Amino acid sequence: MTTRRGRLSAWWQAWIARRLPANKRVTLAHRSIFILPTGFGLFWLLFVVLLFLFGTNYQNNLVIGLSILLLSLFHTCIIYSYRNLAGMTLEAKTGPEVYAGETLLYGVSLHAKQVQHQVELSYEKTQVQTIARVADKAQEALIPLSNSRRGWIHPGRLRVESRYPLGLCRAWSHVDLANAQIAFARPKAGQYELSAEQQGDDHLAKDQGKQVVGVEEFQGLKPFVTGESLNQIAWKQLAQGRGMLTKTFEQPQSAPQWLTLDSHAPLEEQLSLLTWAADRLSAKGQIFGLKLPGKTLAPSSGEKHRHLVLATLAVYPEHLESPHGR
Amino acid sequence: MADSKSENIGRQSLLWLLLVNLSVLAPLYDKMTPWSMAICAICLLWRVGIFSGKVAKPPRYLVTTLAIASAVTLALVTAQIGLLNGFINLLILGYALKYIEMRDRRDVRAVVLVGFFLIAVTLIEKQSLWFTLQLTLVATINICVLVCLYLNASSIRRTAKLGAKLMLQSLPLAIVLFMVLPRLPPLWLVPNPKNATTGLSDELSFGDIGKLTRSSALAYRVTFDSSRPTNSQLYWRALVLDHYDGKTWTQDPGIKTLQRQRKATNARPSPEGEPIDYEVIAEPSYQNWLFGLDLAYTNTREILELPDGRLYAKAPLSQKYQYRVSSYPEARLDRQLTPDLRRRNLQLPSESNPRASALGQKLRTNYPDNERRLNAIMTLFNQAPFFYTLEPPRVGPQQIDDFLFENRAGFCAHYASAMVFLARQSGLPARMVTGYQGGEWNQAGGYLSVYQYMAHAWVEVWLEGKGWTRYDPTAMIAPERVEAGFDAMFSPEQSYLINNPFSSLRLRQYPLLNNLRMSLASIDYYWSKWVLGFDEDRQSQLLKELLGEINATKLAIFIIASFGVIALFIAYSVGLLHFSRHPDPVVAGFEQIGAMLTKRGLPRALGESMDAYQMRVLAAVPELSEPMTRYTTSYMTLKYRAPSPKACKQLKRQLKQDQRRLRLAILRLKGSLAISEGANE
Repeated sequence: MTTRRGRLSAWWQAWIARRLPANKRVTLAHRSIFILPTGFGLFWLLFVVLLFLFGTNYQNNLVIGLSILLLSLFHTCIIYSYRNLAGMTLEAKTGPEVYAGETLLYGVSLHAKQVQHQVELSYEKTQVQTIARVADKAQEALIPLSNSRRGWIHPGRLRVESRYPLGLCRAWSHVDLANAQIAFARPKAGQYELSAEQQGDDHLAKDQGKQVVGVEEFQGLKPFVTGESLNQIAWKQLAQGRGMLTKTFEQPQSAPQWLTLDSHAPLEEQLSLLTWAADRLSAKGQIFGLKLPGKTLAPSSGEKHRHLVLATLAVYPEHLESPHGR
Repeated sequence: MADSKSENIGRQSLLWLLLVNLSVLAPLYDKMTPWSMAICAICLLWRVGIFSGKVAKPPRYLVTTLAIASAVTLALVTAQIGLLNGFINLLILGYALKYIEMRDRRDVRAVVLVGFFLIAVTLIEKQSLWFTLQLTLVATINICVLVCLYLNASSIRRTAKLGAKLMLQSLPLAIVLFMVLPRLPPLWLVPNPKNATTGLSDELSFGDIGKLTRSSALAYRVTFDSSRPTNSQLYWRALVLDHYDGKTWTQDPGIKTLQRQRKATNARPSPEGEPIDYEVIAEPSYQNWLFGLDLAYTNTREILELPDGRLYAKAPLSQKYQYRVSSYPEARLDRQLTPDLRRRNLQLPSESNPRASALGQKLRTNYPDNERRLNAIMTLFNQAPFFYTLEPPRVGPQQIDDFLFENRAGFCAHYASAMVFLARQSGLPARMVTGYQGGEWNQAGGYLSVYQYMAHAWVEVWLEGKGWTRYDPTAMIAPERVEAGFDAMFSPEQSYLINNPFSSLRLRQYPLLNNLRMSLASIDYYWSKWVLGFDEDRQSQLLKELLGEINATKLAIFIIASFGVIALFIAYSVGLLHFSRHPDPVVAGFEQIGAMLTKRGLPRALGESMDAYQMRVLAAVPELSEPMTRYTTSYMTLKYRAPSPKACKQLKRQLKQDQRRLRLAILRLKGSLAISEGANE
C-alpha cells in the first residue's frame, strides 16, 4: 500500500517536473494551473441536483430555473478561478541567511497584469500565507519553513492556490522556483583548538590572523566622513556617480589562521564548532582559511569569505554548487 | 483547514448577512407561524446587536435549547399547518438560529445554501414575473455574501458589483440549459401547500355564487389554436350538481367516488365532429376541477375525463397549471340514459316548494312534448316580470317558491335552480352545471382571460335522442349577459369592484390606461406560458424551431457547444483573452496606434523617441499631421507632465477623443493609399 502510494507520488513528481520545470521566475498559464471543485463546490453541485429534484417534483419551472442558475454560476466560477491565477508571475527572492535549527524564510515576489484576489501561498509543511491582492506592482511574501538540517534546503514546490470568487473551485499550481537556500551548520560554542599551522611566533594565539587598520592591503570602501584624508577618496567611484567613498586599507597582523577538520571527533560536532569559529574569527576581522578533505579555501577575510566558508561547511561532504539538476 | 485567522468573518460579511437574512425571510412572512416570526425577529435583533458591538455571541447551549424547543413545537403544530408549511418553518428557524451562532466561513456557506433553498421554497407559491425579479435580487445578495468572503477588505459597492456581474454572466448559460435540459415527470409524491381554496365550490346554495360574482381575480386564460368561438358559445363547464336537498345543490356521490379514486370510467363516448383546440393556463385554486367547453377531451395523463363531461386534475392546482383541450361541440353526452342516472336526475326533496311543484305538474299536462315544455319554461322567465340582479332579496325555506312567485329577482343560480326544479317536477331529467361564461379577449396577446366574476350556472336537460342539452335561463332574462359577457351587463363599480378598490380592472374605463393594463397582462401571460408553463411539449416545439429535427447526439453537441461558447464570452469579459494588452489604457492605446502604423509600413524603430517617430510619420503621411500632433501632445502631457488628478481625468477623456480621431484618420488613409498604390502600378 505504502509502496504503491510512494510510486504514485514519485510518478506525480516526475510528471509535474516535466510539465512545470524549475525556474526562478514563473508566469502561471494554462499549462500550470489546475482547477478542481472544493468540498463546498461538490456540496453545491449536490445541492443543485437536490433543487432540480425539488423543482421536478413540484413541477415548478422557477425552482428548476434556480437550480440551473446555480449550476451556471459554478461554470462561471471555474473561469473566474482560472483568471485569478493566470498571468501571475512569481519570482524567487533570496531570504536572509540562517543556521540549521532556525526558521528558513523563502521570499517570493508576485505581480500580475490583472488584479487578483486572495491568493494563498504555502509549502507542503508550512502555514498558508494569504495575499489579499496581487496587482501590477510587485509585492513580496516571505514563507517561513522550520528546518533542522544543514546544507541546501529545497522547500519543495510552492503551492499557489485561490478559491476566489465563491469558494466553489480551487485553482492551484505547484511551481518549483529553484529557490533552495543554504542552512549553515548549527554553530556550537567551544574552545577551538588552533591548528598545526601555528608558527611559533611570540604573538598570542588569539591574535593570529587578526587584521588592523593599515595601509598595505585594500580592504574595501566605506562612506566618506568629513575630515578624512583626500588621498583616500575613491575618485573613480565618485566619477561613476556613486557618491563620496573612502578607500580603507588594512594590514594583517600576522600569519592567517586555518580551520581544519579533526578526523577523530564526530563530524557534525566538528562542523558546528568550525561554523562557530568561522563566525567568531570573521567578527573579529581576522584572516582565516578552511581546509577540508578535498577542499581548501585560501585565507581571506570579509563577509563574502565568511559566507563561502560557512556554506562550504554546510554542504560538506558535498561540493558547494547549486543543487539543481536533481 | 489552514489558519483560523483567514476563516474569520469580516465586518462587511456581517453586514451582507444582515441584509440577506432580511431579504430571504421577508417574502416568506405569510408562511411563518407567529412564534417562528418572533424567533426570527429576536435572532435578527441579536445579530444587529453583535454587529454594532452591543452584545456578545449567544452561548451554544442557548442556541441548542432554542433549536430543540422550536423543533418540538413545530412537530406539535405541523398537523394544523400542513407538512410543507411545517417543513418551511423548520427551515426558517434553522436559518435564523444558524444565523446568530455563526462563527466561521463554514457557517456562512451553510447559511447561503439554506438561503437558496428558502428562495426555492418561496418560488413554489409565488411565481409572478415581478416576484421572480425580486427573488433574483435576493439570490444576488446571497451570492454577494459568498463573494464577500473571498474579496475581503474592499468596499460594499465592489462586492455588490462582482456579485451582480457573476449573476449576469451566468444567466445566458442558465437560459440555454433551461430550454434544453429534459423535463421529468414528478418522481415521487410531495406534500402540497395547504391553502384556502378559491373559485367555484362543489356546493351551491343561493347565497354563494353572488359572492363569487364579485371577485375580479383571474381564474384562467385560454389560447385558441384557430379562431375564437363567439362569446355565447363560451360555456366553460367546471362542475355538475345534480343533487338537491331543498337548500343546497351538491355533486352526485358516484362522481365524487370516481374523483376520490382518481379513476375515470370509459363511459365517455368517442369524440365526433370538428374539434376546437385550445390551451388553458389555470391560476392556482387549490381545487381539482378544470375548465373546458363541451365536450372536452384531453391527452394529459394527469387529468381525468369524467363521465359527466368534466375535466378533473389528479392533484389540486397549487400552482399555475397548463393543459391542452380538444372540445367537440357536436358531441353528445349520454345518448342513452341509464336507469340509475335517470332516477338521480329526477330526484327532488319530498314536499318542498309546493307551488313550484304544482306548476311543474301543470306544465307536464299542458305540454306533453318535451321540447315544447322546456320552451314554455324558458318563455316563463322571459315573460313574467323577472329581474336579473346581483343582490337578490332573501329567500325563506321554500327557496324555489319564494323566488318564482314572490321575489322574481335573482341571478344565474336562482334561475338555473328554478328551471332544474321545474323540469324535474315535470318529468324531465335535468341537472345544474356551474362554470364560467365568456371571457375578456386580449387583442395584443391573442388570448382570453376568464375572471372569477364570470362564474355562471346553467341547466342541462336530457332529451331522447339528443342526450344532455344545454339551456340557459339567464339568457332569457338578460341576453346581453351571455352574448356580450358579464361586463356588458353590469358596471364594474357596482359588482366585482366593490370590494377591490385597487384592482387593475378599474382602468378599463380609460382607453389608454386600459391598453397599458392589457400589455402588462400580456407580459404576465407570456411569462405564464413560456416560463412557468414551459413543459415537454413546448420544449420539443422550441427545440424543433431552433435545431430542426432533434436527436440525443444533436442535443448533447448543442449543450456542450453552448457551454464552450458562453465560457469564451465570459473569459473575454473578465479579460482573459486579451492578455497581451497593456493594463494602462493610455499605453495600450499608444501600442494600438503603433501597431496600426506598423501595418501601414511605418514601424517605430528601436529606441526611437516619440518626437522623432512623429516627425518621420508626418513626413511620410502628411495627411495625419493634425490628428497625430494633437494625439502626441495629449499623450506626452498625460504621460510625462503628471497633471493634477482632476486635470488628469479631463486629459484622459481628451486623449481618448484624439485617439479615436487618429485611428479613424489612419483607417481612412488605408483606403486612399491603396488606390494611389494601385494607380502607381
